[in-house]
Order: sequence, then C-alpha cells, then structure tokens
Amino acid sequence: MRSRRGFIKSGALALFATGIGGVPTFIARAAQSSKILQPYKKNKIMVCIFQRGAMDGLMAVTPFTDEYLKQARPTLFLSPASGAAKPLIDLDSRFGLHPSMRSFEPLFREKRLAIVHGVGSPNSTRSHFDAQDYMESGTPFNKGTSSGWLNRAVGLLGHEAATPFQAVSISSSLPRSFYGNNPTLAISSLQDFSIQLRGNPLSANMAARSFEELYDQTTDALLNKTGKESFDAVKMLQKTDTRNYQPANGAEYPKTALGNSLRQVAQLIKMDVGLEIAFTESGGWDTHFNQGAENGTFARNVEDLSNSITAFWTDIGAYQDEVDVMTMTEFGRTVRQNGTGGTDHGRGSCMFILGNDVNGGLVHGNMPALAQENLEDGRDVPVTTDFRTVFCEVADRHLNIHNDPVLFPEWKGKAIGVMAANT
Amino acid sequence: MQQFIKLSAWLFSPLLLIFAVPLSETPVPPLPKTHYNFPYKSAGLTREEAAAHLLSRFTFGARPGDVERVAEMGLENWFQQQLEGQLPDDSLELSLQGYDALKMSNEQIVATFPKGGQILRMAVRDGLISKDSVQGADKKDYRAMLAPYLQQKGYKPEAELFRQLINQKILRAALSNNQLKELLTDFWFNHFNVSLTKNDCAQFVLAYERDAIRPHVTGLFETLLLATAHSPAMLTYLDNFSSSGPVAQNEKPAQAGLRQRMMKEMMARAADTSRQAMQQAEKIQKARKAQGLNENYAREIMELHTLGVDGGYTQSDVTQAARVLTGWTIYPIGDYGVAQTMRPVVQRLGEDRLTRQGFVHEGDFLFAANRHDREEKTILGNQFPAGGGYEEGVQLLHILAHHPSTARFICTKLAMRFCSDNPSPALISKMEKTFGEKDGNIGQVLITMACAPEFWSNTALRQKTKSPFELAISSVRALNAKITMPYQLFNWINKMGQKIYYYQAPTGFPDRGQYWINTGSLLNRMNFGLALSSQRIPGISFSLLALNQGHEPESAESALLTYSKLLMPGRDLQETVHRLTPLLNDPELNKKINAAAEQKSMAAPPVNNREGSADSMMEEENKKPKERPSQKGGGKNNFTTMQMQVAPGNNSMLAQVVGIVIGSPEFQRK
Repeated sequence: MRSRRGFIKSGALALFATGIGGVPTFIARAAQSSKILQPYKKNKIMVCIFQRGAMDGLMAVTPFTDEYLKQARPTLFLSPASGAAKPLIDLDSRFGLHPSMRSFEPLFREKRLAIVHGVGSPNSTRSHFDAQDYMESGTPFNKGTSSGWLNRAVGLLGHEAATPFQAVSISSSLPRSFYGNNPTLAISSLQDFSIQLRGNPLSANMAARSFEELYDQTTDALLNKTGKESFDAVKMLQKTDTRNYQPANGAEYPKTALGNSLRQVAQLIKMDVGLEIAFTESGGWDTHFNQGAENGTFARNVEDLSNSITAFWTDIGAYQDEVDVMTMTEFGRTVRQNGTGGTDHGRGSCMFILGNDVNGGLVHGNMPALAQENLEDGRDVPVTTDFRTVFCEVADRHLNIHNDPVLFPEWKGKAIGVMAANT
Repeated sequence: MQQFIKLSAWLFSPLLLIFAVPLSETPVPPLPKTHYNFPYKSAGLTREEAAAHLLSRFTFGARPGDVERVAEMGLENWFQQQLEGQLPDDSLELSLQGYDALKMSNEQIVATFPKGGQILRMAVRDGLISKDSVQGADKKDYRAMLAPYLQQKGYKPEAELFRQLINQKILRAALSNNQLKELLTDFWFNHFNVSLTKNDCAQFVLAYERDAIRPHVTGLFETLLLATAHSPAMLTYLDNFSSSGPVAQNEKPAQAGLRQRMMKEMMARAADTSRQAMQQAEKIQKARKAQGLNENYAREIMELHTLGVDGGYTQSDVTQAARVLTGWTIYPIGDYGVAQTMRPVVQRLGEDRLTRQGFVHEGDFLFAANRHDREEKTILGNQFPAGGGYEEGVQLLHILAHHPSTARFICTKLAMRFCSDNPSPALISKMEKTFGEKDGNIGQVLITMACAPEFWSNTALRQKTKSPFELAISSVRALNAKITMPYQLFNWINKMGQKIYYYQAPTGFPDRGQYWINTGSLLNRMNFGLALSSQRIPGISFSLLALNQGHEPESAESALLTYSKLLMPGRDLQETVHRLTPLLNDPELNKKINAAAEQKSMAAPPVNNREGSADSMMEEENKKPKERPSQKGGGKNNFTTMQMQVAPGNNSMLAQVVGIVIGSPEFQRK
C-alpha cells in the first residue's frame, strides 16, 4: 500500500511538471520501471453484474416440464412447443431459456455459459434492501459487516494494486460490494474523469493541483482517501481516447445503461490498466405488476441482459481467456403469479456464469418439482445452493483466491462444479 | 447570434419579475417564545460558531449575513421560527409563478400532462396522424408532428410536469425563508420515497410532495404516515392500489349482481365502435382481472416506513398487514391508466350508496369495501376480528406509528440526517423518549436533538458530508446567485450522484457520506465548483464583487482569505488557506490565468451548455420560457443583468479561487 502511494505520488509530481494534458506521466514512469505494465496482461478479470430488484429465475430459465409451475402461472408460463409464437429455447429437455435471451444459446452450446438454478441466501429475508445488502456484504446474518465481498476479494488477490483501476464499478456511486479498506473506484463515465475547465487547460491544471493538495491534507478521512484515489485514477485515464471508442469484432451493445456499462468495462480491459474486478448493475427486475411473458417488461430486461453480455464477450475477443462474467440477483420470485399479472418477492433464483474456464452447457444446482410441499414457506423456489458457494468457486478458480474464511466469514461450503476441472 | 440567444433567455426569464415588481411586504410574524436552550457554550463554541453549525444542519446552507443574523436574534428563537415555518416567502412565490402545475389537483395534472402513449392514442383517434406513420418516424419527427396538436388541445408533455417538479424543489431549497420546512420535506420524501422511474406513479409525485409530505413535516408522525398511505403516488408506487382480497369469498349476493351489471356495461362499451371506447373497455377488463393480494406496500411500510428491518415483525405479519390494507386504492382520476380502475363501481353506486356499503372517499383516496379481505387477521399480536373495514387499516397505522421500534427507527434516521452518520445511543434514546411522550411529534423530537450536548460536540461538528443536492444549493445560496434555469443545477446534481425524484428503490437515497463520496462523484463536485464559479452553468448568475461589498481583492491570496470566509462563515479555515497560499503566490499566476481565459473567450462562446446538452429536457428549458406567463415584461432589465455578468471583478482569477473553495474538502462538509 505504502509503496503504491509513493509511486503514484511521485508520478503526480512529474505530471504537474509537464501539466495535465501533456505526456501521460504515469505511463511513462511505468514504462521506465518496466515491471509494472507487462504483468497486467496475465491478470484474470471477473466481471460481476448485479440485477437489482430480484429477477424471476423461473421465467429466465424455466423448468418447463414442471406441471405445478404451469398451473401456478396461468398467464406467465412459457413452453418450448414449436407452435408458440416465441417458444422457450430448450436447453436440456428440462430447462428452457427465455426466447428473448437467444443470444445466450450459442454460448451455452459452446459450453462457455453455465447456469445455476435455485441459488439464493440462507437468510430468508424478502426485502430488496436487506437481501442486496447481505449478498453484497457476503455475510447473510450480519448487517454490521463494514466491507463488501468484492472489496475483500481485492485484498486477497495476493498482490498489491499497481493502479487505481484494480477494482472498478461502473456506477455513479460505490456499490455495497465495494465498501471497505481496499482501494476501489466508481465511475459513471470514463469521459468525465478529469478536472475540467473547458478551453482553459492552464486553469484546470492549477485547479487540479490545488484540489489535490487540499484533499491530501484534509482531516476528514473519507474525503482524504477518496480524493487521493480520484487523482490517481484521473492520471491513468489520460492516455487513451475514451470518447471515440469503437467496439471490436462487430460487437453491438444495446443502447441501455447495462450495455453502456459493459462497453466501458471492455474499454478498461483493452486499455490494460490493471483491471481485475469489475462491477455493474442492471435494474427493473422487481416485476410485481404486469410482468409480461414472451413480450413485455421481463422480456425486455432479459433481452438487454443477454445482448449486453454477448456484445461484451464479442468485443473483448482476444481477452476472453482472461475474463469471467457472473450475474447475481438478491432473490427470486414467487412460484405462483400474483393477482396483478406479476410475481412477488421469493427465494431462489438463477445465475449466469460465462467464461472459457467455466463448466458450461449445464444447468447446475438442484431444482425439485415445484409441488407446494417442496417449496420454501409453501410458496417459493427453495434455495438449494448458497450464493456464496458459487461466488467462492468462481473467485477461487478464476482469481485464485483461496482464503474462504476471509472472503466469506463464518461460512464453509463445497464447490458444486460450476467451474471446469483443472486442465 | 449567440448574443441574441443569450439575450432572449434573459429576456423571458421569470426571475426578472422580481426586479420589475416591487415586493409586497407580507408581515413577518413576531418572534416566538422558546422554553429551551442550546448547550453550545458548554461545548466551547462561540455564539457565531454555534449559529454556523445550526445553519449548516437546518438550512440548505447559509446565505451571506445569515450567521450574524441568527446569532443576533438568538439561536433558539431562530430555530423555533423555523419549526413554525410561517415566514413570508414572497420572492419564492414570485419565482414559482410561471409553474402552472404546482397548484393543480391530480385530476387537473392528469388532464393537462397526458402520458406519451395517451397522446398518441388521442392523436390517432382524432385522425391527426395514422398509426403507421408514427411507427416509422424517429422521436424528433414524432415530437414535431404532435407539437401543434398538443398546443391546440392545451396539453403539455409529461416531461414538462417533471421539469416543474424538479425546478420547484431547487427554487424552494435555494430561496425559501422557511428552510427547515424544505429540508424536512426532502427528508420525509426520501423516507417515504416514491419515484418518477415508475410510470404509473409519476404523474402523482408532485401532489404527493405538496399534499402528503410538506404540510406535515414537523407534526405528528402518524399524520404523515396516514397521508402517505392515502396518496395515489404511494398507492401506485408500492402497488397497493391493486391489492384485493379473494373476490368470491367476501362477495355478497348483491355485490355479485353489481359485478354482473358492471360486466354488462363493459360489454356495452365494447360494442361501441369507436376505437377509444374499445380500448377503454379492454383496459377496464384488464384492471378487473388484476385482482389479488399484493404485499409490497405492507412489507415496506413495516421495514422502511415504521418499524425498521430489525423491528420485530415476521413474514406472517407482512401478509396479514397486506390483507388489512386490501381495498386501499385510488378514487378514480382521469380516464386512462391504473388510476381510473374503480370508476365503474363509483359511477354505478354513487356517493350515498358507496358510504352505506362501507366505502370511504377522502380526496383522491378510496377505500373499496368490495375489495377488502374481511377475514380475521393478527398482526404483531393485535387481533383484527372478521368483518372489519377501512378502520382496520387506520388502526394498523396507529399501532405501527406508536410502536417502540418505530420510535427508535425514526429517531435514528433523524439523528443520522441532522447530527452525524454514527449518532450515539445516548442521543437516540433521548429522542426516542420524546417521541414516545409527545405522541410522535417530529418538531419536539428535533428540539430534543438540538438541545442535546451530542448535537454540539466534536463528533457532530463538520462531520456530515453534504449530499450533491445540498452541495449545489449551499453553493448558490452562499453566492447569492440568481437562478433562472434551475434545471441546469439538476443536471449537475444528477452527475454528482443524486438524481432527485428518480431514486428507484423504496429505501430512498442512503443518507451517509460513504454513499455520496466516491472517486467519480468527488471529481464532479470539484468540476461543479469550477463550472459554477466561472459562470459556465447557464441560468445561474451572481456577482462575486457584490458579495464583498464591491471590493476587488488585491491578490489571489487575499481573494482566498476573503472568499473562504464569505463562503464558509464560522469555520476554522486555517487548513484550507494554509494549503493553498503557496500555490496562489506564484507571481505570474494571475497573468497566466487571465491570458488563458482571454484566449479561450475569443476561441469559443462563453456560455456553452455542453453539460446539459445530452438531456432532452434541457432543451425544453431553453425553449420553454416563451410560453410562461411570468416572463412577459421585465425586458428592460435584462441589459443590466447581462452586464453584471461580465462586469469587472468577476475576473477569472477570482472565479477560480471561488471554484476551488466550493470544490474543497471543507466545503463538502457541514
């Protein structure tokens, strides 16, 4: 930590010698010391997408042979029957992917995409706020945990951050998963990441210098720490033209918040700025009312989700071996549809994990027949896989993080084989 | 050309009326009597320091001279005056005159600001456009096509409603003399959050804040709770409007007959050949089907509005509370969308029979007895015997409002907002005691807090971080800025991480420094300071020289000293001044900056709204003024105003120093 600060600090001084907008000093210095830049390329990167609002896992990946489900959802149930206008995509004769997620199908067939069904928290809260809080802190029975699990993951990567971009959230504010003592970064747009005084670079430079000085010395710990991180990050981003980014391999991102976020994650990956953990969010999953079936709110949401991820995957091309994408949502929704054409807060939902080291082409987990006696509290998909099982296995196998008790305190669990066997 | 555009923006700006029309003098109420004393002396604070702290917590920021005024009139007197919230607000009222939505009922709002889909349907019905032509057109063409139609019908786009809502909040926060009332309105709105992101609820948000929140912010918590529970915004936001008990189970034969008659009526409507009537009938049928229990509101009322998540309730309490609240819905508004669902029933029965059958109609609220679950319920150990109606819900809210968990939860939240992010248990228990003894009187709880030593201690002073909204408003207040385009501030506030009225989750914004401050948002705060101070935010103008009684500072260093004091009265500024002085002492600095600024102003027009250009509503703001009645007249003054903007003394060195002060860590604290 100390050494990084020292490094950045001296980089900052050099930068002001040339002025903001001049030679990207950090990079120049990094190149001089040569040991910094190269290793990034070997870094593994984990991209997490939090679907806020609780995705209806039963509609995303439907156990379509289940007669109980069919009965419980008179207007929401979809089938893979070829007669339907938009049939489910039959994955394995038992589970069907929502028709709006067809861009996922090839990834599943190529065994890069795995699904885990019946995932959730051991804490049975059905409150968004709580369940998200627990999932992001990674401690489902302790509200007081001050750090988020991804922040702890940063600390367990086993090497110091060479850059401020080790852990980046594409969001206007810091997500709960990122809370904690390890340096993390939240950006809503890469383009805005500088001190700006339009048309007046000298003044901007002077202002930046003043701000850096002030934040460096303030007694307010939060402002002090965040200020330092901000200026570190500004210097890094100055080296490329983020404004005119062209996705590779013909990738087309949906023009949505998630599409835009993943596009920026791809940019960071290709800039080799030392990214290892990325976080983005997707909203609109709280479908109490008129959820829709093959069309409608839910269909639009999963279309955005799958198309954004697929575009990202296409765009990063050569980096695919380094990157895993993992989706998560705070809980699932009631098996039975409610009286208002939607579903209420439930328990188990499903996750998608994409990567070349993933044990893909399978629907993992354990989904019983959805007869009432098998349901949690007689109403919800039972949680058969603790979310920490999956988080832990992906972090372990992809990021080489083995210290489970630190990552998820007071928890012990066994991997379920979401990741491919060691090759 | 550029000048002309600027000129017309000023010409039509509503604020100019302030200068054109002499303010009518509304009498100021006499100073209230207070029976309490703030213990700031024992905390080692001078009267002025204490006044500065008080103002930083109970206003959106001190204006020039406020600290001295409050110190002089007495801190307790000022606080009591704020709690009463009766100070005249003539200049605020004047600046709000152009906003026609602010005085409209929900019914009028729905009739004036139809939703996009509704406009399209009406335009198609009236033969103005054919449906096929719309589908191919892009948004811009579509808007252009509909504009004359909207004007002819007197309709305005829904975005204009949202713009008025946002602008009025900014203007009230910046201009109101009853600052505490506005601050508490912000607090309680966030506590009982509803959101423009939810389509069904969006049209009702304005009346929600005005009628359900603002009148009750210092009163009894139970009143506030009930007002929100009755409001169409909350009923739609958390879906309770559609929640009902099992139909067959509690339907009497007479009601079954009624339902059949209603179906017949609908079929008759469906037989009507006009497209509108058919769609109407479809809608009604859909809404009729949308029956069943929805427990969303019942859960959040316990978790977020009253008891708190650890407040000691179970899933069964939630479900049973949802059953108690079945039938709490909206008295029909308009003839489109979810808020008119109950119209057939209401029309069929008429007010008298509604009352006789146990329906309750209060303003926009309707208790629909035919949707209520009449079976027995038990919540938190309280029995609700079978056969109950509307009064069950009122009783439930009463129980919740008076539960000890609620006292703790609400007092903790108030202490976190007004005292510190980690309020001491001792402070909270004092507040809880008052909450219990005074029937949940919010004003009394605030007095207890302000009378507690904890409020004046080092664990509280300067320990809160301003939210982005507070940062923006405190800046314009400190600068005595004129705001002619409030929406420009909204764009910045959004950029800094607080898109007001658009927070999607019922939790409201987390009110902690750690949530507001992150690397990206912090840079935007600094950039906001620079953009504001250099008058690059269109529609926000001020004179830095006037702030300093017309004296121009002799050097950057003296500018720093003078303006730090002006912007942060009552603060220890040693740190800020000490750190910046060496940087500002560069003898060439002034010359360099001015040269750079001159170069820049030759190269590019000074007011260039790049920040806001991405937002389509912004375009509205720039165009809109012509339509607003308040902007007639006042044209003569605009030259003076314009000249003020470029008057000597607003030089770039001074602007830069002020920008740095606004972006400094000290100014982020309160």
